[in-house]
This record gives sequence, structure tokens and C-alpha cells, in this order.
Amino acid sequence: MGKANREKETFLKLTPKTLLLYIVIIVFCLLVIAPLVIVFSSSLRTPANQISPLMLFREFSMDSYKRAFENMNYPMTLLNSIATTGGSVVCIVLFATMASYPIGRLKTKMAKFLYYFFISGLIIPSQMVIVPIALTMNRLNIPNTRFTPMLMFITCSLPFSVFLFSGFMKGVPVEIEESAYIDGANLPIRFFSVVFPLLKPAIVSCVITQGLWIWNDYFYPMVFISNKAQYSLPVAMLQFLGDKENPAQWNVLFASCVLCALPLIVLFLILQKQFVNGIAAGAVKG
Amino acid sequence: MIMKKKNKNQTSPVFNNRMYFFLIPALTFFLVFWIYPLLQLFYYSVTDFNGINYDYDFVGFKNYVKVFHNGTLINSMKNTIVYAAVTVVLSNLIGLGIAMALNTKIHLKGFFRTCAYFPALFSAIVVGFIWSYVYMPSSGMIASLVSLLGGDGAGFNPLGDYKIALFAIALVEVWRGFGTTMIIYLAGLQTVDDSLLEAGRIDGCSEWQLTKKIKLPLIAPTITINVILSVINGLKAFDNSFIMTNGGPGKSTKTLMFQVYETAFTDQKMGRASAFSVLAFAFIILITVIMLYFMNKREVEL
Repeated sequence: MGKANREKETFLKLTPKTLLLYIVIIVFCLLVIAPLVIVFSSSLRTPANQISPLMLFREFSMDSYKRAFENMNYPMTLLNSIATTGGSVVCIVLFATMASYPIGRLKTKMAKFLYYFFISGLIIPSQMVIVPIALTMNRLNIPNTRFTPMLMFITCSLPFSVFLFSGFMKGVPVEIEESAYIDGANLPIRFFSVVFPLLKPAIVSCVITQGLWIWNDYFYPMVFISNKAQYSLPVAMLQFLGDKENPAQWNVLFASCVLCALPLIVLFLILQKQFVNGIAAGAVKG
Repeated sequence: MIMKKKNKNQTSPVFNNRMYFFLIPALTFFLVFWIYPLLQLFYYSVTDFNGINYDYDFVGFKNYVKVFHNGTLINSMKNTIVYAAVTVVLSNLIGLGIAMALNTKIHLKGFFRTCAYFPALFSAIVVGFIWSYVYMPSSGMIASLVSLLGGDGAGFNPLGDYKIALFAIALVEVWRGFGTTMIIYLAGLQTVDDSLLEAGRIDGCSEWQLTKKIKLPLIAPTITINVILSVINGLKAFDNSFIMTNGGPGKSTKTLMFQVYETAFTDQKMGRASAFSVLAFAFIILITVIMLYFMNKREVEL
């Protein structure tokens, strides 16, 4: 959208038709966020408050949050989540861009085969292979720590990331590399100082799409981590599984739901544009 | 011209075979933690391995026969197809509809987009908790609203009714997933050239004709990618059954992956779970191939 365009931007005039459009969108958005509003309002009550959650925002107390904060061991689980998500994402970007370099650049049959080999991994659900994976880990003497799930996060992100980067690699002009070659740059230098910086939009997209599922994933940490101090945020939520049927526990449960989602909500509100562009770029340009 | 020559040669001095070394880290991870375990499934599927004791026997195709005969395979395939169909159709229709509404010049576009995308930020486990409350009989969100309006709130129990539980959890997936679909459709719609629509308007097309004849054909690749992504996602259905219904009531919400998990971890029958996985895998490949075939065909026709 150019500058001239933005100045001229006019909004739809208020006709019965556009009014209907507004009403439909507003009602729809209300329906979508209604559960979240109720959850948020209930989380602001004292744990003992039993009036119907539909009575919104009648009480503002942090007591439920205090209880949830302690139950989840929040600082530790938050730190675990940040460390594992951050570490995995860094490795994925590095490994996937490197793998996409030959796949995107070489015109050989081998490169083509490897492309399909990697993206075929998209259709394998993790529940299906989890037991052989656990046995493989055992055989390789990989201990169960907070970092074990990272191995799986990296592996499972490869198909989509390779798909994303090798598609994007085709848009990076080969001429730049050829002139770097003539200037005497060898392969690693060419990759890391010429190609890698040009992949930035795809890297943002990869970090956001993969970071989002890794942060939210509870399955691998649930299988691989047995020590409570090493839990990440979503796994710490699993201990409340029994509480969900018990209305007396709702206020604390909802407070912990908010606490669990809070870091991503904050990040999303700050980086909204990057989120929206990153998610779209992953699918549209790939 | 120069480009064309290069395409014919398989490698060049600039892009030579040494580039394959860059594959080593990714390929190592992929082979050790994804492909090797996948192949092991075939091996374990003909044993009575329980996941712990390595003293297992080979039992031939007994596991395969068993999952066919006790009905778990057919039941979970049926549930997975229904779940995937509901999520694919609804999240694409709603996503496309909202994207089209937001692609007009309305006020507060960014705010509506944020609202619609918001549920996608939540972990499946948080979503499961929130919707367990929404669906709860008598004191849950919908039930209280029904009671408030004078209806029978206590009788409202979608997760307890084996006929609708599967649709209820599929709807939760739609709630969580349509925002992502919508953002992808929005990006696709923004690539549609305004001058084409303008030309259509001058020729006297109605809004509906503009949508059908210009917008939809132009965003066909976006539709394809969204449908493929949501089918893949739907076939992997596990979270909602695991967190909200535990497969019940009866076995009405046991999806393929829930059944695999239950057989392996709850029943401790690793051999049988492997046989089940192999069949589930064949099923997923079959559906994916059929889908890709039809998607490619349709896109060429358009």
C-alpha cells in the first residue's frame, strides 16, 4: 500500500448492506471471544467465589492468580518454556536453512528427492511414532531432561521449515552468489554471509509458525519429562486435568489458563504485524 | 538465456555437489528421530512387545487381525474422517468468509482480525480446559445461557452424548484453527489485482459474480494450500479427545491417534499399537494422495 494510496483510503459508506456486514462481523467476533472473556473475568475472582461465571467482572482479586502461580511453579516453568522454545527455534532456523541450500539451488534428481523426502514428514503424526522414538532415545542413552523434547521439536519442524526455505531460496537471485564466487568466497562464507541474510523474511515466518506450536506443545514434554521442576508451561497445566469437571476449582484453573497463555498474548500484541505476515508468508509464498 | 543453460547442467562450479554437506545436521535429526522410528513400527507390529520388556515373541499378523476384528480400527477411522471433514469444511468456509468480509474497506479491520485470530494463540490444553467449561452441563457457559433464556440447561451435555460429542470437539478445533486459515486467505485475497475487479464492475458484474468468477479462481492456490494443511491437521486429531473426552462417551471420540496412544500407553500393548499405526499410516497416505490428486486436477482446470 503506497503513501498516496493510504491518503486516499476511504471507508465503506454506511448503507443497509454494510451495516449488515458490520453486525455479522461484530456478532461473530463476540461469539469467538466470549469464552475467553468469561475465563478472564472468572480468573479475577477469589477461589471461593461461586456465583455464575456469566456475571462478568464483579470482583477484582489476584488470589486465584496467586494460587495458580504457586501450583504451576510459574517462574521455573516459564523459564523452561523460554529456554526450550528459544533453543529449538535457533537450531531449526540454522539446520533448515542449511538443508534448503542444496535442495533449493541444485537441479539434480537427488535434490528433488530430498525435498519430497523431507516434506513427506508433514503427514506423520507424532503420537504414531512416539514409542519407537522413546526406545531409540533409550538406546542412544539420551537422558530425560527438560532439553530432550527439543530433539523432537527440531525434528518435527524440519519438514515445514525445509518446505518454506527451499521455496523461498528460489527467489534469492543466483547472480549475487556467482559474483561472490568470482570474488573468491567459498561455500560456507557464501551461505552465511550472502544467502542467509537474504532469507530474513522466511526466517521470521519460520520462527513465528514453529515457535508458536513448540511453545504450545504439551505432548513431547509430557512423554519425556518426569521431573516436575523441568516442566514447561503447557505440561504444568496437565496437573489440573482432574479439576476441569469441578466448578469449585474453576477460578484457579482459569487463572492458570491465563498465566499459561499470557507470554504469547503479550508477544502477539507487540509483534502483531510480524505474526500476521509470518503466518501468511509460510503458506502463500511456499 | 544464460539461466536456461544453467538449468540443463545439473551442477555448476558455483553450485556443486559439495553443497550436500549442508544437509548433514538436518538429515541426521530426521533419520534418527523420525524415519528410523517409523520403520521400527513395521518390525514391532509383528511382535507382542509391551514397550518395556525386551523378551518378546514374534506373533506374525495376529496384531493386524486383532485390530480389524475388535472394531477399533474401523471405529477410529470413521471418527477421524468425520472430525477431519467437519474441521476442514467449517474452518475453510468460515476463514474464507471472514477474510472476504475483512478484505473490504471497513473500520476496525485490524481489531476484528485480532479477535478472529486470538484463539489460535492458545495451547491445545488451555483450549481443552476452556471448552470443557463452555460445554459443561448445568453450570457451563452454554448451559447457563440456555437456562437464563428459560431452556433446559441441565439437559445440555454435548460431551456426554455419543451422537454429538465428536462434532462438539471438532467445533473446538474449528474455533482454534479458523483464524490461521483466515490470515492465509486474507494474504491470498490481497494479491488479487484491484484493476481486474474494477474491470469486472465496469462490465456490470454483481458482487457475487466478482467473487465467483474473479476472486475465487485467482486465489485457487491459497484454497489448495489451506485445504491441504487443514486435512493434514485433521487427520492428526488427538488433543481434544485426549483432554476433553478421553475418547468417550463409549468410543465415540476415539480418533486414530487417540487409539494408538491408548493402546500403547494405557493398555501397554506396543505390538498391537504398532500394527495399528502401520494401518493408520497407510490410511493417511491414501487420503493424502487422493487429496493431492484431486487438488492438482482442479487447479489445472480453473
